[in-house]
Amino acid sequence: MSRNHLIALVLIAVSIGAIFSTLGDASTYVTFAEAEQDPGQVYTVIGTLDTSQGMHYAARENLFTFHALDKNGMSREVLYAQPKPQDFERAEEVTMKGYSKEGHFYAEEILMKCPSKYNGDEEIGASEADRIYYE
Amino acid sequence: MNYIGEHLLPGELGRIATYIAFASALAGAYSFFRVQQSGRGDLLSLGRWAFRIHGLSVFALVGLLFYLLFRHYFEYDYVWNHSSLDLPLRYIFSAFWEGQEGSFILWTIWHVVLGWVLMRSAKDWEAPVMAVVCLVQVFLVSMVLGIHPFGLRIGSSPFVLIRELPENVGLPWTQLTDYLERIPAFMDGEGLNPLLQNYWMTIHPPVTFLGFASTLIPFAFAVAGLWTRRYNEWLKPALPWAFFSVMILGTGILMGGAWAYEALSFGGFWAWDPVENSSLVAWLVVVGAAHLLLIHKNKGSTLKSSFLLSILGFLLILYSTFLTRSGILGDSSVHAFVDLGLNGQLLIYLLFFAVLSLGMLLWHYRRLPGTVQQDEVWSREFWMFIGSLTLLASAFQIAFTTSIPVWNSLFGPEGWLKWMGSDLAPPLDVVQHYNSFQVPFALVISLLMASGQFLRYKKTDRARFFRQLSGSMVLTVLLGGVLIYVFSFHEQPILAALLLTSLFSIIANSEYAIRVLKGKVRKTGASIAHVGFGLVLLGALISNGKKEVISENQRFIAKDFPQNENILMDLGDTLRMGDYLVTWTGERREGNYRYYDVDYLQWVDGVLTKQFQLAPSILMNEQMGNSPEPSTQHSLLQDVYTHVTYAPIEDPVIDSDGYTSEARAELELKESAFLDESMILLDSIETHADVSEDGQILAELRAHLVVAHIDGNTYFPKPGFRLEGEEIFYMDTIIEEAGLKFRFEKILEEEHFEIKGWRKAEDEKPFIVMKAILFPMINLLWIGSVLIAVGSILAVVERIRMSRS
Repeated sequence: MSRNHLIALVLIAVSIGAIFSTLGDASTYVTFAEAEQDPGQVYTVIGTLDTSQGMHYAARENLFTFHALDKNGMSREVLYAQPKPQDFERAEEVTMKGYSKEGHFYAEEILMKCPSKYNGDEEIGASEADRIYYE
Repeated sequence: MNYIGEHLLPGELGRIATYIAFASALAGAYSFFRVQQSGRGDLLSLGRWAFRIHGLSVFALVGLLFYLLFRHYFEYDYVWNHSSLDLPLRYIFSAFWEGQEGSFILWTIWHVVLGWVLMRSAKDWEAPVMAVVCLVQVFLVSMVLGIHPFGLRIGSSPFVLIRELPENVGLPWTQLTDYLERIPAFMDGEGLNPLLQNYWMTIHPPVTFLGFASTLIPFAFAVAGLWTRRYNEWLKPALPWAFFSVMILGTGILMGGAWAYEALSFGGFWAWDPVENSSLVAWLVVVGAAHLLLIHKNKGSTLKSSFLLSILGFLLILYSTFLTRSGILGDSSVHAFVDLGLNGQLLIYLLFFAVLSLGMLLWHYRRLPGTVQQDEVWSREFWMFIGSLTLLASAFQIAFTTSIPVWNSLFGPEGWLKWMGSDLAPPLDVVQHYNSFQVPFALVISLLMASGQFLRYKKTDRARFFRQLSGSMVLTVLLGGVLIYVFSFHEQPILAALLLTSLFSIIANSEYAIRVLKGKVRKTGASIAHVGFGLVLLGALISNGKKEVISENQRFIAKDFPQNENILMDLGDTLRMGDYLVTWTGERREGNYRYYDVDYLQWVDGVLTKQFQLAPSILMNEQMGNSPEPSTQHSLLQDVYTHVTYAPIEDPVIDSDGYTSEARAELELKESAFLDESMILLDSIETHADVSEDGQILAELRAHLVVAHIDGNTYFPKPGFRLEGEEIFYMDTIIEEAGLKFRFEKILEEEHFEIKGWRKAEDEKPFIVMKAILFPMINLLWIGSVLIAVGSILAVVERIRMSRS
């Protein structure tokens, strides 16, 4: 076997290693119910804000609590020991990394997706325009 | 119908310019193709004229879009969405390329400029290379065509009026001839995203897009090399362009890092975000390609891999464009993407060039001359080749993980092939995931950078090699030992090793430049760039590996809950953070900014002395949301980075009793929970029910609470409510001495009860929540970035000079 073949083999081995380590490190998206079956284990849950319930940031406790609905529509109180993210109320979708414990979800990291300004405000503009037209 | 107050002429001209740009790119591609294919030399001037017209129409298009922005013609969607009357003139460039259409145009301009340079410099390569450039332009301009033939949607034009948008066509207001005067929404635009209103947004995109554009040239030469079967000749003219690409794309990426660090609140310069990753992947491959071209020039080997990497560099830029603009990254990136609905078109663009170039490579592969003899192990070319492969592997690993959303849409449960039972989510600890691969890769690369130049092409005398490097090695071990001790890396052996190898590459390359090249500036490009890259690695390692969050909050919330990295500061309080005592002295308002002045104090000779003041801020913007901007104290050895993570911005809502800060909790019997600053326990529920004379149900419920307040006292409020038929009357409990008010709000399902609490408004002291991080030695990173650019420019200039002589 020539040296070049050996190099090629090493390269392929490293690439396969990269693929498997990624598949191994990758987490899965779960629902609150699935996260609760394994308390303390970290999962990623994608959900939406449960707007029927309030949200509260107790700055002095440094604890932000809100309610989120997972994709099955189950609502859970989420605790987040970070300041309330800017414009959290506007979030269309919330991706929460964290774990379940005693009926609560303890989020370690939150990513939120806000409506793009293209769609959001333009619709406001248009409906406002329609209102003026009908008047 | 004639609308009043619209300015249609510039838009019409803009569209015409777009169509001409498209048609002339097509004509150019055809002419250059024919010149090459059938040797019709007479068509060469036609091709050149077509590309000149193409270039002029692209510039006309740019000029017209600027004109619309400048004149605030808000009837145009692009102008309305990206600018406003109060937008300072200096941000007009940022507004231009904030949108997808504008950034495609920016990319197109750079291709035009590079194409013009190529027409003058490519000599006998002109026809095939320009044919490829023109073909790419056809696709790029099609992204801004904005035409809808046969129900298809091709491109999105920046010259569309708001009333012409598909979602608005047919709406009643579009029938008003005077809609611009009647409807206030058209008086002013949406404005530029406040996050983008800084000078970085003015300089970063042009540099990055020039970087993107620059990868086209080695690609075009490689394709031209295959096409003309001059397999061994395309590499020489492509070489300076490849290093140009290394320089400009690298600068663009590092500028993005500097922007993130200076003006965005990422808390660092690199976040392994998919947007950053996808450009980095292309850069790593371009660096690999450039070095392979260099080997080929000196040794004649590595032809096949030169083809592959030169082609991949551009394809990865297209892939990155697809990833970041198609909205596919949705869940995994903090960047907000606007999906223009052009996914299909972007995918066709990517697949077309991938199939074309890789297909040609496969077709010609057997005919490519192979290497006759194997590379000597003790030769520069062998280790440069290994280095390029390592870069490729490193790029592959980053690309594979970044592409998780792509794997989901291909193989996921809702994807194309449905192989996987559930969607993959990105790794939970992204940094750890990337580091586990990238740190070893960086180790190999830095070791090769250190020793590569001391190896000779073909064969190296081993004894001489070690003798030459011995000085650098000794110096590395001495200085590295000190750094490892000072920054306590000794418990992280792999990071300590990376510290040594990156330091080694800095020292060895400096030595090579000074001692071997005797400081001949012309020749030192490679050494300077390598010193720069070593400094970037070292700076990234120390500043990120040993960054210290000094604003730690020691409050216990729950077991395993992450230690809070944010600290709450009352106005005038002084808190210890790291080696500093920190005071928040007040808030200033300037325009839309609210600045929070934070003094950093230290004891100097027994006197508490102000060392510096930082003013992190929040930019207020109703339309797009408020955004915090950090403030950083730069000093030689470390930066103190501060940003406000929360500040009460709205005036508090105070009820008629003078209570504020509503908080709520849902409780079962005997359950307890935090409610603002108290711990409350629902002890029992007391109920009385009755029926009134007219048959109404009367009920009174009281919740018996046990409240452990932060002041140390325990209270027993009994808030309640009365139900009289449909009506509800609250009987709130106020505890004057603690400044608390409680309400039994309602009964929820499953025996849960909702309790609300407020606190007395006077108690509301002004406060901010902030985060402060020390980044040691981050200046090494910035110095390194500059050196990479300077070194690469020198290398490009030297390559051009050598190819002329």
